[in-house]
Amino acid sequence: MTTTAPTAPTAEPRTERLAITREGGRMIADYWEDLFVARESGRKIVWYNGGALNPMFQAAGLAWCHGEAFAARLAAQRLEGPAQLAGAEYGYNAELCSYSRTHLGCAVLTLKGSEEPDSGVVGLHDRADLAAKLPAPDLFVNNYAGCSTGQQWDEVSYRVFGKNVPIFNVSHPFLWGNRPDAGYLVGSEWDEASRYVRDQLVELIDFLEVQTGRPFDYDALSESMTYIKRAGELRREGLDLCKATPAPATFWDWISCIAPINFLPGNQALVDYFQNVKDEIQQRIDAGISGVRDEKYRLYFDGIMNWNKLGFLSRKFAEHGAAVLAGRYIQNAFWQEPHLIDTSDPLLGMAQHYLLCPTNHGSKTLDHLTLRDCESYGIDGIVFHSTRTCRAFTGPQRLLARSARDNLGIPSIFFEGDVADASFYKEEILDSRLVAMLEAIDVARERGDHRRAGRGAEVAWPA
Amino acid sequence: MTGRYLGVDLGSTTAKAVVVDGAGEILSSSVVTMGAVSRAGMQRAVDQALREAGLTESDLHGTVSTGYGRRLVPGAGRTYTEITCHARGTAEMVPGVRLVIDVGGQDSKAITVGPDGLVQDFAMNDRCASGTGRFYEVLARAVDVPIEGLGELALRGSDDLEVSSMCATFAETEIVSMLAEDQDVADIASSVHRAIAARTLALVAQVGRHTPVVLTGGVARNPAAVHFLSRALDAVVTVPAHPQITGAFGAALLARDADRKRQVALDVPGADEMFPRARGHAPAGRDCAGCDGTNESGTLDLGIPARR
Repeated sequence: MTTTAPTAPTAEPRTERLAITREGGRMIADYWEDLFVARESGRKIVWYNGGALNPMFQAAGLAWCHGEAFAARLAAQRLEGPAQLAGAEYGYNAELCSYSRTHLGCAVLTLKGSEEPDSGVVGLHDRADLAAKLPAPDLFVNNYAGCSTGQQWDEVSYRVFGKNVPIFNVSHPFLWGNRPDAGYLVGSEWDEASRYVRDQLVELIDFLEVQTGRPFDYDALSESMTYIKRAGELRREGLDLCKATPAPATFWDWISCIAPINFLPGNQALVDYFQNVKDEIQQRIDAGISGVRDEKYRLYFDGIMNWNKLGFLSRKFAEHGAAVLAGRYIQNAFWQEPHLIDTSDPLLGMAQHYLLCPTNHGSKTLDHLTLRDCESYGIDGIVFHSTRTCRAFTGPQRLLARSARDNLGIPSIFFEGDVADASFYKEEILDSRLVAMLEAIDVARERGDHRRAGRGAEVAWPA
Repeated sequence: MTGRYLGVDLGSTTAKAVVVDGAGEILSSSVVTMGAVSRAGMQRAVDQALREAGLTESDLHGTVSTGYGRRLVPGAGRTYTEITCHARGTAEMVPGVRLVIDVGGQDSKAITVGPDGLVQDFAMNDRCASGTGRFYEVLARAVDVPIEGLGELALRGSDDLEVSSMCATFAETEIVSMLAEDQDVADIASSVHRAIAARTLALVAQVGRHTPVVLTGGVARNPAAVHFLSRALDAVVTVPAHPQITGAFGAALLARDADRKRQVALDVPGADEMFPRARGHAPAGRDCAGCDGTNESGTLDLGIPARR
């Protein structure tokens, strides 16, 4: 019998994850442990969602808990179940954003404490320990752009705590990008929206002064934002290094770096961390080490992370020689435009980053950003994570897929999953689509027409 | 053409096996219905196909597997996804096809095929059973009609009932409600077929409408499914003679192509690019290089039978 080349995954892992991300994991663990005892150390606690307001809270002397981040942590440790069950018992079903469902469950468990073993599910009580560990909030701040659920979520949390906890909402206009002068980071819509959100941050400072009973420390904010700006610059430089072929690190490494840039305090440790990330990537380039051994395909990943599946997905793609290199969630989020930040007066630049949430753009801007990144990273195909309970992220995905195909000749696949609910993911769905796309890329390469090079993106913005 | 090649498509509800010779001609085929993906069902399909071809496994020169259970097929030198195999097999059965719609037991796919017979783009249904063979089974059970008779029943009905749910479970509830309202069973069946066709249209929209259109998979044997899909697409929908085995046929052809390592472009457009042949191995009499168009006798050979 003739034997042709097998496609079965090799047993030996082909991933070479960045070693430094383990240090990031330790920093994150320390952060959460510190938060869990914040009340005992005399600090007030703010629960917030959406854009990274942590520099404001740092300057105000508060301890902060980012709701999505904690839900993601639970999911990454596969400990989201008890919180989601508590949320379901409270009345939030599986169609609701699984971040919010998890975090609302945490709120319920925080109120109830983990001492009541009211479920008959074996082991559930033990697994609920972490979910019930958050200290109750002294105030809420909502900073959600491009997602109505995000705003309702904190409003519901406010009700879970009996409407007794003060709440402040920062409102963000959706960036339609349809005025004649509109473009990415330019145009009258951008300017007006930036000022509108910036003015609300001034009001937020007033609110924080009332809640803390002390004047806001603007110098501390400038100092924190100086560190964050530098960390953001280093992160961008590291991302740019990954345009090399083969790529020295992958999307999955950068996913591991999200937590530090998203909610750790702005300080020298944060800068050192991203300097080390960049240094390790440079060392890999110098040593000829790639993030995926024998890189064969370069892919773009669109969608919020499936936190239950981070390690699994990184291995799955690598098994096929597929290096996932870029994605809306890492390239276009998390202090991604540090040049906007004026460290002596950072409020406007902060407001602009909150507006730059990847769910807050019209399709034209998303198209521009996606095509830009696909071109600059030499992408062969796009994998769309159709995040089941995040309509804000999935809404424009079909348009993006069509645009990538028509403008760059890049094929796409879709697979269903979720940010913090593994039940929506089915391996065969991803596997069959991924392999089929890779087969199609192989055929197109043999045919010599893969990626209609030179056509380029057709989205033109004002200079 | 002495080679013998096996293609196995181990799907979610049926196992299909096809044996082809070196010319790509089908020597035998089998379709075995299973409850779910099973090694036993796959083995029965393989045994049946080999028996019909008068072969044993040791006679095979190559095996390629596809389908949900493709990794369970022993002896398969290589696996390919259903996308590649359905496109390959269908393009061979219906030359010139540009859009393949395959409706299997658990999923449905729309595949655009280039002029060279190779996959251009594809889309698959999401994880729910809407628009798949399973959905038709739900309908057949709800209206208490054998699955084989469902199409004829649907063609007798009008199509003016509203079927709003495309979830197989909820649709069953909706069908039961219509039965409770004493709606005509044929009307219900036709309305569900129409709704499924609309759902398939949405799948096609993801890859773009192209013609000619070919419907494959077990559902292609349902005349009402073909009728309503044709109406929804406003295009003729062709059904190959053996719509269930296109994937297995494509797999067998891919096994053959890989083994030949020589020019296959003459009979399978694009296959040469997929499996580049070594130079100098073209079949005798097919390579026109250095030929002035005459045969050995010096007469012009137009490749048509001589009239006597």
